[in-house]
Amino acid sequence: MRKAKLWGLLGMLFVSELQAAAGQAEEKKILTEGETLNYHCVYTRKHSQSQKAWQRVMDGGKAETLAFTEKTSKNSQELGGRYFLEDNTTQGAVHVRMTNVQVSDSGLYRCVIYPILSNPEVLESLRLVVTKGPSASTSRDKNPPRDKAQTPTFPPATKAPVTQPPPKSTAGVSRPGLEVNPTNVTDVTRISVFSIVIPVACALVTKSLVLTVLFAVTQKSFGS
Amino acid sequence: MSSPCALLTWTLLTLLGLGATREDFTPCGPIVPRREWGALPSRCEQRLDLPVRYVVVSHTAAIPCDTPTSCMRQVQNVQHYHMRTRGWCDVAYNFLIGEDGLVYEGRGWDTQGAHSGPTWNSKSIGISFMGNYMDRAPPQRALRAAQSLLACGVARGTLRTNYEVKGHRDVRDTDSPGDRLYDIIRTWPHYRY
Repeated sequence: MRKAKLWGLLGMLFVSELQAAAGQAEEKKILTEGETLNYHCVYTRKHSQSQKAWQRVMDGGKAETLAFTEKTSKNSQELGGRYFLEDNTTQGAVHVRMTNVQVSDSGLYRCVIYPILSNPEVLESLRLVVTKGPSASTSRDKNPPRDKAQTPTFPPATKAPVTQPPPKSTAGVSRPGLEVNPTNVTDVTRISVFSIVIPVACALVTKSLVLTVLFAVTQKSFGS
Repeated sequence: MSSPCALLTWTLLTLLGLGATREDFTPCGPIVPRREWGALPSRCEQRLDLPVRYVVVSHTAAIPCDTPTSCMRQVQNVQHYHMRTRGWCDVAYNFLIGEDGLVYEGRGWDTQGAHSGPTWNSKSIGISFMGNYMDRAPPQRALRAAQSLLACGVARGTLRTNYEVKGHRDVRDTDSPGDRLYDIIRTWPHYRY
């Protein structure tokens, strides 16, 4: 019975540590396989006329460009692709849409200014976690319901329907990295797990040490 | 171990664990609550996803106030204008700052404001200095109140620790927060152009 209580307490501490980790540099979204990611990267007016790109950051820091906005239409062109960008310069936001997300899509993404410099200007970073089962989010940001309300505005507003073969050269757009081989996926998962597990574990160890001592002392004084 | 003692220990440890979330035990500076300044009830329903990354600083471009009494009246005026004339669900800002050095609760930490367009509104807290700061700066006590409010936001976990401050004119086509105030916020440590 005592053991169960102690484990329950440690479990609760773990949750509170996860919440404390809210001061991260990146946003986080948790989706289920098959869902569509809808995300908005905001930017200030100095970037109104700039093109924007959506990248995936691999472990090791190498970034792959998945889509970028056109100069004139402010939308991205990707025939048969899964990544769509719509730049709303009045609102100061790029709407990013990734359809039919898979577990292999889990990882770090970012909005950057395009053309991409050697030291890229990053607007926002997003940690995407795609799960197999129903989305069971422990983090405070429950986004999916909100996005479903925003989704209806996207298809009618798109200026360039994606089924149209584009006469413009979208040569700069790299192929979507769907053929990510399994070793990369496990590496990404392993590193993202470590970047969460280690700080949480350190704090947990310290706290549980203090509390175990407290527990033992109170137990002793009450004379079990 | 006897049951009451186990219960007591368990309660103590639970409180310690809950204390780690910090929200209830934060010593935030005084904020004049809605009821106190005579706010009309809010009709707003859109929540903010917390923690928030951005803070947008604006000015009301209206008359300033430098006493608690006159500022209370001024916040009411601003809310009235926003709700009756502009037709919004509440005063546009999450918080307002008076030249009396007090922070006035607008939509608060949890509700989306109506200051910077739909997308920025959903990702930011909008604070507004009551007055027009094109040609003059707000007094130090008002600037202190704003800084204290933002520190409070971080302590509560409603603002990211690495939150970014933007001027209203950085996100909208406007003079707000006024040249003088804009110059000041650009020196703030969390300001990002």
